[in-house]
Amino acid sequence: MSEGESEDLGQLENDPSVRQVCANGICMKTTVVEAKLDEGNIQEAESALREGLSLNFEEARALLGRLEYQRGNVEGALRVFDGIDLQAAIQRMQPLAEKQPSKRGRSRSDSIHAVSQHAAGLVLEAVYLKAKSLQKLGRVTEAAQECKSVLDAVEKIFYQGIADVLVDNKLQETVSHAVELLPELWKQAGNFNEAMYSYRRALLSQWNLENDCCARIQKAFAVFLLYCGVEAGPPSLAVQIDGSYVPRNNLEEAILLLMILMRKFYLGKIKWDPSVIEHLTFALSLCSQTSVLAKQLEEVMPGVMHRIQRWKALALCYSGTGLRITALNLLRKSLHRHEDPDDIMALLLAAKLCSEDMFLAAEGAKYAERAIANCHDQSEHLKGVSLRMLGLCLGKQAKVSSSDFERSRLQSEALKTLDSALVFEKENPDLIFELGVHYAEHRNLNAAVRYAKQYIDATGGSVVKGWRLLALVLSAQRRYAEAAVVTDAALDETSRWDQGPLLRMKAKLKISQSLHTEAIETYRYLLALVQAQKKSYGPLRVEAEVEDDKVNEHEVWHGLANLYSSLSHWSDAEVCLEKARAMKEYSAGTYHAEGIMLQRRGEYREALSSFSNALLMEPNYVPCKILMGELLCKMGPSMSPTARTLLSDALRIEPTNRMAWFHLGMVHKNDGRIIDAADCFQAASMLEESDPIESFSSVL
Amino acid sequence: MSIDDTTASAITTTTTDDDSTANQEKIATTPSSKPRITWSDSYTKAQTAIESLSAILPYIPPSLAASETPAFSLLHDAEIAAQISRLLRQNDSGSGDNNLCRWLYDTFQSSEPDLHLVVLKFLPIIAGVYLSRVALHKPLAGFEAVLLALYAHETTTRNGQPITVSVPDLSHSSIYHETKQTAKNTSVELNIAVISPSLEPHGTVRSTRRARIIGVALELYYSKISQMPINSKIDFCEFCQIWAGEDGDVYKDGSNSSGGSEEENSPTVKRGKEGRICLPWDLLQPILRILGHCLMGNHKDKELYEAACGACRSLYARSVHDINPNAILATGSLLNLVKMNSKVEDDFDHTEIVHTNTITL
Repeated sequence: MSEGESEDLGQLENDPSVRQVCANGICMKTTVVEAKLDEGNIQEAESALREGLSLNFEEARALLGRLEYQRGNVEGALRVFDGIDLQAAIQRMQPLAEKQPSKRGRSRSDSIHAVSQHAAGLVLEAVYLKAKSLQKLGRVTEAAQECKSVLDAVEKIFYQGIADVLVDNKLQETVSHAVELLPELWKQAGNFNEAMYSYRRALLSQWNLENDCCARIQKAFAVFLLYCGVEAGPPSLAVQIDGSYVPRNNLEEAILLLMILMRKFYLGKIKWDPSVIEHLTFALSLCSQTSVLAKQLEEVMPGVMHRIQRWKALALCYSGTGLRITALNLLRKSLHRHEDPDDIMALLLAAKLCSEDMFLAAEGAKYAERAIANCHDQSEHLKGVSLRMLGLCLGKQAKVSSSDFERSRLQSEALKTLDSALVFEKENPDLIFELGVHYAEHRNLNAAVRYAKQYIDATGGSVVKGWRLLALVLSAQRRYAEAAVVTDAALDETSRWDQGPLLRMKAKLKISQSLHTEAIETYRYLLALVQAQKKSYGPLRVEAEVEDDKVNEHEVWHGLANLYSSLSHWSDAEVCLEKARAMKEYSAGTYHAEGIMLQRRGEYREALSSFSNALLMEPNYVPCKILMGELLCKMGPSMSPTARTLLSDALRIEPTNRMAWFHLGMVHKNDGRIIDAADCFQAASMLEESDPIESFSSVL
Repeated sequence: MSIDDTTASAITTTTTDDDSTANQEKIATTPSSKPRITWSDSYTKAQTAIESLSAILPYIPPSLAASETPAFSLLHDAEIAAQISRLLRQNDSGSGDNNLCRWLYDTFQSSEPDLHLVVLKFLPIIAGVYLSRVALHKPLAGFEAVLLALYAHETTTRNGQPITVSVPDLSHSSIYHETKQTAKNTSVELNIAVISPSLEPHGTVRSTRRARIIGVALELYYSKISQMPINSKIDFCEFCQIWAGEDGDVYKDGSNSSGGSEEENSPTVKRGKEGRICLPWDLLQPILRILGHCLMGNHKDKELYEAACGACRSLYARSVHDINPNAILATGSLLNLVKMNSKVEDDFDHTEIVHTNTITL
């Protein structure tokens, strides 16, 4: 017998492709057993094993089950496992563990541990394989219950835990598998609450999982939280530790888990998984927290993400948080000719960022031109967008151009480009709006009205700036009554909190119509609104929204002060100025309003000092330059060169300011340059017919 | 062990929250009657809903009228769904005197959670048809009434409060940290993100608040999305494509391939840009959350997955058109995930035991 055995053993060792079972130091081939199993004779197979390997009933069954499972015969495996009362076996093990008094000698308790671990491992593996078999047969709920019983049993049998060094490998393997499988099974069974619970149980209890396994569970849980659509609710109070962060909802918990995974990546604990950063990107951009995402991207180790990809992602993050220059610098790197100079998304984003700043607009125009040149194949549909960006950049560039010739060239080029963009992007309301503003600034008011109306139609009146543009253009056409109708319609469509800019406009319209009392009423209403807003806005409003809707209270006081001065209500005007000063002590706007009042009262010297104070605060403050020029001009010929300089400077900044042209004309006239004066007056009178109550760019 | 039990009870209490608020509403509406909802009560309500529906639809399947769980059958009946969606898509639907809109409104006002689901199921079509028609100056008061009812419901359940997320910071210790020590710098302020600002009551749809009202209705839809039938989600994805108004097919099969030849095989794209709408963040954010669920949620429905992929591609194309960084990041990451999903073919099962030829005890 022993001879045959060793022969058998040697043969088997030489041929690893033959399936064999080993126990108690003996190995045997499985062919005989398998044949018996195929005949459906479990008992005979079992007794063959028991005799061959000197096993007890349960051990033999467990081995048989595993054999059947490995052969892919899950139904057979299930039949074998059903033959053992696994729950009873588990029951039997519990008191064994409980009898262990901890004060006993270490060596003794260790050995008992080892024995019980081995026995438990055997039974638990059998239960686990039963769960796997049920899963493969599609009976997932039963599978989940079996799998859960594995974990329950581990907690009961080893309620004191097992020291790290003593853990039996096989037992650990079964436990890790069960921990990982359980939530998957509940998910497949459609029982989301149990799935959540078992995920948390997996991650919050001590299962001694290895890094990879734990990371897989963390990722699966994060994905589940992000997309399953069922709120998990906060974790139980028992796991919450004072002062530690406890997620209150799915999004918070998912983000936390994904961040922990990111940290494990850069600590080198687990291998990089690109899907984690994508999930995190999705989650954080949904909360508009791209600055946090940027931080995460910056922490990624070099060599994991391609640098261009990372620069572009970072640029998107930073432009999302309004850090324009940082974003642009990153894009400049990625668009360098040695990197990815033709990437259309980067080119478009760079152009857009530049189009918001007049000093960068020229650079932006170059990006837009490159984008247009690269609009082929897959990106062909972006041609319209590229043209639109070019138009916007050129329009912005025109504002800083050094000569009139350059300016008008750029302006007409911008309009032409925007028009050609419209061919590709007929449906794009943003483009229609931009065309409206550009035409308005170009003083082609009829076209501007057409586009403003088209924009309101296309957006269904849902954007306030559309209404404002239309009212402004109408006011420029001196159609004040119509502009007032538009403003009122817009007020109807706006909820109270967002009415600020419209009310300010309404007040100015009333002034233009010489309805001073109504204007004062409107201003009062506006002030009440602004002050109520100041009180009620908690810290939890979206910041961008606040900036958009809110009218600066400071400016409202200026407007009201000017209105009172024009009515010669000096004391009221003084009160308004006092209020404005109380909010902000030194501001160009307040000095400006004060200067106007003083000038109207005939206190020219004081007015002059107010204006010059305003200019000291803000050197490019055009209205004060003009008023100062006007005052100086009246002070006699010795002052006229200064006045002329101031007015020319004002025109350099705002070429369409009719008051500047008018007063420059006066200076020329006083100095005897009649032809120059006539030119200036002509310009002023032409502009007067198209002067809006607020500057067109205020709607952007 | 006690730890786990409390977790379980925490979960169950949160899931029943909705029901209890519904109960409270019920109490508020009928102060004189006993504040108890019986099974028969919700049964009668659903029966009444089906009866009044029979006056509107040409045909009600007899199985529905005889059903023991009428609300559930109403939610899942394919025939009814097809008829209602046909009516909703008709040219003259959505006016103030439209019977179906009235039915939807009344059904929602019945404050029966199961019937809420029935109405929510049609939200994609209502919102889709409504938004695409806003610019056409048609009477839409019927749709608006339903949308306002959804908005008002969400406003009361939330008590007008905003939904915020305090973005975790790993320098704080958390429940998932491996070292369980309390951090010293507890004073560090967490970033608080507002994912849905506070809600003001609205009696009418003011055009500037339209996107917000529909966005909130979609948030409500999202909160019940695991109970929504697949078809409703597919409708939603199809409307996403229409709203985006961009052909996303150029982003099919990886962004690097220049596939110009495979244009003819997609019938869904040829719709043109007719229904293109403005997509402010108020609207886009809930859309993206729902889309995330349709793409990555725990379902195996091929058709829904394809529809969601299509919607995602279109919305990505749209985000690039708008050069909207947040939207590009969100839709781009979803697209990348789809790409990764399609690449992983050998789905290695980590929970499988190691198969060896030597089985040891």
